[in-house]
Amino acid sequence: MNTNSGIRGSSLIVDRRELLAGAAALGLGLSASGARAADTPKQGGTLRLGMEGGSASDSLDPRTYADSIPISYGWQLWNGLVEIDEKGDPSPELAESWEAKPGAVEWIFNIRKGIQFTSGKTLDADDVIYSLNMHRGETKSGAKDLMAGIADVKKLGPNQIQITLSSGDAGLPSIFADYHILIVPNNYTDFSKPDGTGAFDLEHFEPGVRVLTKRKSGEYWKTGRGHFDGVELRYIPDSAARAQALISGQIDAGNRLDAKTVSLVMRAPTVNVVRTKGTGNRFAWVAHCDTAPYSNLDLRLALKYGIDRKKIIDNVYKGFATMGNDTTVAPSQKYFAKDLPQRPYDPDKAAFHFKKAGVSGADLNLEVSEGAFSGATDCAVLYQEALKKAGIALNVKRVSGDGYWSNVWLKDPFCAVYWGGRPSADNQLAQTFLSNANWNDTNWKRPEFDKLIMSARAELDEKKRGQMYADAQKMIWEDGGMICFAIGDYLDGYSKKVKGTAPHPHYDMCDQRIAEKGWFA
Amino acid sequence: MLRLIATRFALGILTLLAVSVLIFICTQILPGDVASAVLGQQATPESLRVFRAELGLDKPAYLRYLAWLLGVLHGDFGKSLTNDRVIIEELAPRFVNTLFLAGYAAVIAVPLAVGLGILSAIREGRLTDRLANILTLIAISVPEFFVAYILIIIFAIQLGWFPSLATVDSDMGLGTRLYTAFLPALTLTMVVMAHMLRMTRNSVLSIMSTPYIEMAFLKGLTRSRVVAFHALPNALGPIVSVVALNLAYLVVGVVVVENVFVYPGVGQYMVDAVAKRDVPVIQACGLVFAAVFVTLNTVADILAMLANPRLRRRR
Repeated sequence: MNTNSGIRGSSLIVDRRELLAGAAALGLGLSASGARAADTPKQGGTLRLGMEGGSASDSLDPRTYADSIPISYGWQLWNGLVEIDEKGDPSPELAESWEAKPGAVEWIFNIRKGIQFTSGKTLDADDVIYSLNMHRGETKSGAKDLMAGIADVKKLGPNQIQITLSSGDAGLPSIFADYHILIVPNNYTDFSKPDGTGAFDLEHFEPGVRVLTKRKSGEYWKTGRGHFDGVELRYIPDSAARAQALISGQIDAGNRLDAKTVSLVMRAPTVNVVRTKGTGNRFAWVAHCDTAPYSNLDLRLALKYGIDRKKIIDNVYKGFATMGNDTTVAPSQKYFAKDLPQRPYDPDKAAFHFKKAGVSGADLNLEVSEGAFSGATDCAVLYQEALKKAGIALNVKRVSGDGYWSNVWLKDPFCAVYWGGRPSADNQLAQTFLSNANWNDTNWKRPEFDKLIMSARAELDEKKRGQMYADAQKMIWEDGGMICFAIGDYLDGYSKKVKGTAPHPHYDMCDQRIAEKGWFA
Repeated sequence: MLRLIATRFALGILTLLAVSVLIFICTQILPGDVASAVLGQQATPESLRVFRAELGLDKPAYLRYLAWLLGVLHGDFGKSLTNDRVIIEELAPRFVNTLFLAGYAAVIAVPLAVGLGILSAIREGRLTDRLANILTLIAISVPEFFVAYILIIIFAIQLGWFPSLATVDSDMGLGTRLYTAFLPALTLTMVVMAHMLRMTRNSVLSIMSTPYIEMAFLKGLTRSRVVAFHALPNALGPIVSVVALNLAYLVVGVVVVENVFVYPGVGQYMVDAVAKRDVPVIQACGLVFAAVFVTLNTVADILAMLANPRLRRRR
């Protein structure tokens, strides 16, 4: 592991897997949450969150969510059908239970009974069907692709629905944990007046400035959640301002601490830094596998062997990242291909493959931008240096961050990209590597791969399924056009008063649910 | 005199109209459109098409311009394309915040700069003059976010006197507001001081070399009296215009300071809108900024005319 243990200092850093391993070693048999339950949650107080990942153009409509702040207030106001638990598995939220018929084409979901929306309406199957359909067909929803495999949603009873897929997918529950897919009342259209089942009600919505919510009166339907009286979420896009606000106690929690300065934040006696290893953004270069010279497999291999991942992680991410292994599946995810060797930096092999490719005259241009991800230019320059040792000349072209996603990404044959974490390895692979994926940014189209993913989805035997996903990752690793060199760590900062801040394998800030999970000591 | 003012006013309106056309054209030239910017990396061809049709982006540009202009004349800037919120309701409180911060900084900076400028002129070449010049020049030479961070380190972290987050809101009383916004106001003061101070000093000094001033000295008047009563009224024109320019800057150019102090002003609103190609919001902010600029300059022109009768009779 690439941890920079020298700067751990006095602040507590909890790594989820270390904690689990530690508990297991002691034979305690406690899960991370069990170990913490000794700390009894208390009711009360207003949680002051200071976050990056939103703008003045944010909306309450879950179809438009794309960044941390909307995800955070979305989960304060609403619930999903399924939640990802601390082990990374789907667990019941508004869906009480579910069951797949053999082949995983037909699914039955049982909706929890007696749950009320803010308006007083009781949740039923119609609400769920309406909410799911918001993301299907002609829609601007960001979850459209995730939901594309659903052929039909049918009501079986007042609290039961049946979902039919176009082909089997054992991973369907994980899809429903997506942050877009929030459950709203049937025929609900006015998102400026949120009507949800979440622990909080909206009090004030000022996108780009702050969002205030207030705890609903009475018991929250989830036991052991919803301890704060209210949440004040402030937009603090500047990372230095966020760190200062945290240290000086003007906010209780802040997300996305800057890896370059996090060691200073750790020194503050009132601050707790929670680090979640290798679950953050996947940083990568993507080459179009159908465009010369990148259509040459040997060139792609040369480009993969020619990157010094460790150096980039140590220098650009100050050690707060995990090495990427050329796919977007992270080690924290279930079905991560553990047996696949980590690709090393090997200038000799890179030179060998480069020679074999015979494209020495070709211009290799890598387009990067700070708009792709912050630090992209530095990473690219280090890459250029590393390739030089293998005798490969790479031109780094820096382009504007403005309009990067519409003008460069998916268009330029070799450019920078980041991918966020998804609920499951399947989502992660499907959205980027299936032949018909809209976001197949390497133009890597392999029918065998598509077939493998489809059969993995229909396979209900865990072991066989895991093997299939591992094989799928191996295909990308050997043949694909993605050079995923690093997976960032999530770095959250909390005031020491805030409890219930265990790292989560899905997203930062306790899966962006700190508002309903945390409490004040 | 009235006619002159009316002409200035009409010219101002015409400028605004021209600016509105320019703003509209510029927003059309920006690469990418709102649909792809909003959906960002999640965009798919179908979701883009649906979103575009929903936003009316498939209509020709001149029709969209005319419809927009008509709305603006009725006090309606339309709705934000990204989140469907009424722009004027979002913009108005932020504009008030921006004016508050600009006013706050101006109330400190203008008297200080003009006063110190006059003092420097009176004590030309002496320690006070040198010191005032050097200090303000240093303040203007370093980037404003740097000044801001230095002030935060000293006043928010080390001394703990003022908050580093200057998020004001409508429920705050004036006292709390002034306290909360003190650090950004101080930053802006330091940024705009040098310009005004040096302009005051230099225009007073250039008048000082004219024969009628020499006459005043020969009458036996003190240097401070000559500067304050003989030189200053004639030097007022350029001072007023540089003050107006700086005030305009305080309104339209403070996005960096807003960002560092998390101050909810118009600047950040506009930057977010540009990033998301939220054209109606960009146009509204652009137009409001242009209006501030034009108004301040018109007022400066008129004030200069009032201060200096020669400007009135020129034509």
